[in-house]
Amino acid sequence: MDRYVRRRLGNTIVITLSIGATVLGLGWLVLILGSLVYEGLSGLSLAVFTQMTPPPGADGGLVNPIIGSLMMTVLAIAIGTPIGILAGTYMAEYGKAAMLSVVVRFINDILLSAPSIVVGLFVYEIMVAPMGHFSGWAGAVALALIVIPVVVRTTEDMLSLVPRELRESASALGLPRAHVVRYVSYRAARAGIITGVLLAIARISGETAPLLFTALNNQFFSTNLNAPISSLPVVIFQFALSPYADWQKLAWIGALIITFAVLALSIIARALSASGKSS
Amino acid sequence: MSSIAGISHTVQSPVPTVVGRGTNDAGKLAEKILIRNLNFYYGDNKALKSVNVPLFDRKVTAFIGPSGCGKSTLLRILNRIYSLYPHQRAEGDVLLDGSNILDPGQDLNLLRARVGMVFQKPTPFPMSIYENIAFGVRLFENLSRAGIDERVQSALRRAAIWDEVKDKLHANGLSLSGGQQQRLCIARTVALKPEVILLDEPCSALDPISTAKIEELIDELKDDYTIAIVTHNMQQAARVSDYTAFMYLGELVEFDTTSKMFTTPGDRRTQDYITGRFG
Amino acid sequence: MAELKGREPEVFEAGRKKLADIALSGNAEASVAATSRTKILRRLRFSEMVFRHLTRAAAILVLIILSGVIIALIKGSLPALQAFGFNFLIEERWNPVTEKFGALAPIYGTVVTSFIAMLIAVPLGLLIALFLTELCPMWLRRPIGIAIELLAGIPSIIYGIWGLFVFAPFLQRTLQPVLIDGFDNVPILSRLFEGPPYGIGILTASLILAIMVLPFITSISRDVFEAVPPVLREAAYGVGCTTWEVVRHVVLPFARVGVIGGVMLGLGRALGETMAVTFVIGNAHKVSASILAPGTTISATIANEFTEAVGDLYTSSLIALGLILFVITFIVLAAARLLLLRLEKRVG
Repeated sequence: MDRYVRRRLGNTIVITLSIGATVLGLGWLVLILGSLVYEGLSGLSLAVFTQMTPPPGADGGLVNPIIGSLMMTVLAIAIGTPIGILAGTYMAEYGKAAMLSVVVRFINDILLSAPSIVVGLFVYEIMVAPMGHFSGWAGAVALALIVIPVVVRTTEDMLSLVPRELRESASALGLPRAHVVRYVSYRAARAGIITGVLLAIARISGETAPLLFTALNNQFFSTNLNAPISSLPVVIFQFALSPYADWQKLAWIGALIITFAVLALSIIARALSASGKSS
Repeated sequence: MSSIAGISHTVQSPVPTVVGRGTNDAGKLAEKILIRNLNFYYGDNKALKSVNVPLFDRKVTAFIGPSGCGKSTLLRILNRIYSLYPHQRAEGDVLLDGSNILDPGQDLNLLRARVGMVFQKPTPFPMSIYENIAFGVRLFENLSRAGIDERVQSALRRAAIWDEVKDKLHANGLSLSGGQQQRLCIARTVALKPEVILLDEPCSALDPISTAKIEELIDELKDDYTIAIVTHNMQQAARVSDYTAFMYLGELVEFDTTSKMFTTPGDRRTQDYITGRFG
Repeated sequence: MAELKGREPEVFEAGRKKLADIALSGNAEASVAATSRTKILRRLRFSEMVFRHLTRAAAILVLIILSGVIIALIKGSLPALQAFGFNFLIEERWNPVTEKFGALAPIYGTVVTSFIAMLIAVPLGLLIALFLTELCPMWLRRPIGIAIELLAGIPSIIYGIWGLFVFAPFLQRTLQPVLIDGFDNVPILSRLFEGPPYGIGILTASLILAIMVLPFITSISRDVFEAVPPVLREAAYGVGCTTWEVVRHVVLPFARVGVIGGVMLGLGRALGETMAVTFVIGNAHKVSASILAPGTTISATIANEFTEAVGDLYTSSLIALGLILFVITFIVLAAARLLLLRLEKRVG
């Protein structure tokens, strides 16, 4: 075959493959979201948000896992965000060239992608076993350990984007370092840092593994964090793998709720970072 | 005491000097800042070599020279802004009113309130126009609300921008044009009542009209402040300054009154630079 | 004088007095300002120091967390490691009743599912990245980019539940019979595709993993492709190269290290993935030649069995599995990070 024709053919094949790959790769999104909506939307009702998880065969809702998830998420963010922001601040502002920063950045990136089930095991060892029982606190701590690397990374990245001249102008006025960081750097990077926190929330909303042996589960409505507490992902796990049709239905509804929450958070985070960039 | 005789290379010394205490005896010029045998290192790289130069009280001194000659480096020593970075160090004497600011005991925040700096890129803080100025003032002084209002107004007037912003003091500083932002930065510096103002290529990011406004401003400001300006625009140096220092490859080549420097420079290199032979 | 790591020096009495003296001898107003400023700054110095130490403490905490994880895992696995020794890694039996545990099946499952997943996701991801950077019309780029991010953000349990109720039955009806019949008479490969079509199993789990890892690989590859300087591309096009040739000879070599780093990160994710896999892997502690058979992965085993584990040896064996997983992912992620560090040094 003529050399040029061969080259053209090779090119066409690759182009076709890449278009096909795109359709295939993104088609899953449509399929998955479609299934979620199809299976879950029909069961969505007020009862889901007001009634407890039922025993098989009875009617019920998802209020206890929803409340449990909300409580642990809020707690995890409350614990993890300050630590993450402070650590990120150290790496971007105070210890920029320090060896500690280099090491922490490396470690942090590993923790960021580490299997979350290992985090669950860790918290089991340090909290559940010594305490003698599962608890919502342990669940919150496990989630916080997932929040921290995300917030550290985004805080450090966003603070590093603050122009050097802006910091220098603040120092040139005689402002002490902490003032420069708190009133100038933080303000300039605010949108980005908040985006990081939102992304962390989105991430932990769907995390199941770390909760499996820390917070466990609770089929009754409870706000007691010192005991096993229910959460959406764990309930979905339990119900979906069960042989009961009504439980499976609730699992789909729960999945729809989580997905919707995660997508909403991602959209808000994206809108925030876009508006932050434009200002 | 000190004399300018120690300056390296050919120098036409204007008048013998006396360490100034803010006085200005007839015929004698007070040195607000005296730089003696200054060496500066970026890591192992020696960027300034044995620089000796005075900055006379309430005069404008311009620093000119080709890129990389060390003029910005020199300026950044005068308010010790280089101290923010670990691998940069200075050796020698920089006497502000007779006392060496390179002393380890020197309080940097106090120094920077006395020696203000305006940077090449306009850097308004991410706050309102009012806050940009009030922020620094509030830190250093205990003034009532009315007192701060008055300071803000007088600073904005001094920077010749009051009329343009008086109706929108609470608008974000970033909403101003480039030239206005730069004047805002000047107002911010002036609000702290410094004694010396350092200008690092203040007009290089601005259009000709804004540049003209700022040059006018410099002319007014020199009645009250000692001014040092780094510029790569020789015509600007000729327009605004009383004294000019020409630097090349980290050394001070020549220092003289501006009129003398631009008409009959003493050193061959100065002449070549001014006539555009290189740089 | 030398400046120490961004810290400002202490205020010494002598220095302050000297400044105050000089200020006093000149402008009276300036001197008042100087002394009151000194007072204010001295007050601020304490909160300044507290803040600085707080940030450093937080950074050190991250280190402590990692060491804590490693130590806790080792401590928890000690009973199992002491009981079984090195055999733990190669023993296939997993019997809670006789308390004989072996990690071979979970390790095998983890490695095989991740391997197959990467085999599918990497070429697809690169092709999609190629499409996005070279062929895609401008108006379509952002929507597709958003779609990829959404896919990446969907929690893994969603993939799991979808896999169990939709994908697995689908495969059971369509792909698996085709594979079984198709390879029936092929000499060696038939062993790979043997067995009844369960729907769930190693292959299904690998496919779900592939779908999960795909957006990750795609977005990293796209970022790395986009970082190729336009001039290089334009030069290649200018010589008459086809799109594929530009990608193959200019973009890919330039982006090679970044892509490899991204692939390794994706691998690290795939190895540790729990929920998506647990639903569809079948949870059988067996090593089978056929990829249509059920199996298990480390994380699936832990997720399924931990809360029901009775006895210290059982629990400890599960924790030992966790330790093995952590070590594997740590090595892969650390290698990826080092590689990317080298890349950043070269470029920036």
